[in-house]
Amino acid sequence: MLKQILNKFLILNDVQAAIVIQENGEIIESMKSGIVIKEDMQDAIATIMLDSKKTAAQFGNAPLSMVFVEFSDYFLILGPVMEEFYLVIIARNTANIGQITYEMKKNQDAIVSLL
Amino acid sequence: MIDQLPEGKSIGWMQAPPQWIFTHTVRFVGIVRVVIQDGEGFILIKKGKALMYYFKHGRIELRGHAALDYFNSHPTIEFNLCKYTPEEFAQALKICEVEDIDAAEEGEGIKEQAAAVSQQRESVEEPVREQPPVIQRVIQQPPQVAEPAGVSEPEPEWNQVAAQVPVIPEAAIPVRPAEPEAAKPPQPVAPQPVIQKPVVPQPAVLEEPDIKVIGQIKKLNGIVAISVFNDDRNILLMGDVEIEPLLKIARTMLATITTITPHLDWGSFVHMTLQIPEGNVIIAPYHENHLCILTTRTINIGHIRRILRDLQQTGSP
Repeated sequence: MLKQILNKFLILNDVQAAIVIQENGEIIESMKSGIVIKEDMQDAIATIMLDSKKTAAQFGNAPLSMVFVEFSDYFLILGPVMEEFYLVIIARNTANIGQITYEMKKNQDAIVSLL
Repeated sequence: MIDQLPEGKSIGWMQAPPQWIFTHTVRFVGIVRVVIQDGEGFILIKKGKALMYYFKHGRIELRGHAALDYFNSHPTIEFNLCKYTPEEFAQALKICEVEDIDAAEEGEGIKEQAAAVSQQRESVEEPVREQPPVIQRVIQQPPQVAEPAGVSEPEPEWNQVAAQVPVIPEAAIPVRPAEPEAAKPPQPVAPQPVIQKPVVPQPAVLEEPDIKVIGQIKKLNGIVAISVFNDDRNILLMGDVEIEPLLKIARTMLATITTITPHLDWGSFVHMTLQIPEGNVIIAPYHENHLCILTTRTINIGHIRRILRDLQQTGSP
């Protein structure tokens, strides 16, 4: 069922991966297209999650709404789903970011209900 | 005095160490309006050279070194860079009763150069190695003002009403003094070796166009503050925020990027945006430095990307 929801992201143009991941880097579920999620990448995503959470806390304990990291070829969007669980989308930088964030918000409750 | 000075064209308000002003105004002609607590002052600048320092708090006036020392006694000061047209600058000089030494010297220099050229036609000259003397100007002393009873910040400088404009070391002008040389008989002289000065590493410098661009970004709807920083320090800040906490956050984000980049084969770093309910914090590379932008929630990520893309491609937002 979670795979079906993640697949909604994968059908968007230039989206390469949709992952539900825990703060410690453990992947709960993922859907990928033309990308291999190696341990290195898992570590990187875990670093972004933990560091960003800490950084957001410096703003008067503000909760983290979303993190967006862009490189010249790919970008990553990370949004908290619940407690220690995050939804991560990896896409080529030609992907439509507005569409992705819209789908993230739209499907958040459905993902929470499955965790 | 401040009220009489021309307004100039504001480039933007910023917070930075006083020294930043002198290292970042190499091409700037205008006035730097300084605000410290309830007092205000200015530095009249022509291409990196301060021609006048002034600060006023209540009835206390500081000029010259006293004002400069007071500025320097603060780790960071808040100021507004206002660009002057030549007419406005001339008017400001008149109001401040300051002589534009450069302009006077340029005129002298042209005369001396003309004299030197005419002599060159008649004689072989030796290369000039003389440094011009250090120039020191003294402005008329203003009347000493008694410190008002209400002012509770009597730093040593407050009691001084020094009227000395700082010593301005002038760049070597490659023109030999005409008269003494003219008196000498022409003598063929062997070429002198060129004396090379040691290269001193320059502090991080933002050119005026960069400051303008940063100012333009700051003016965009939803931008709360923008900072240019490097590993060592904040170089420029525009916006009404405390720089230290912002810089700490920006550096933490940069450390995250430094940690993850070797693990991701995704090309070069473009930007990182952290979204919290209050707004966004963005870091992005900017020349050899980094930008940190604080925005409200009214600005979306697509807009941020467009600003950064335009900045990196065309140099303007």
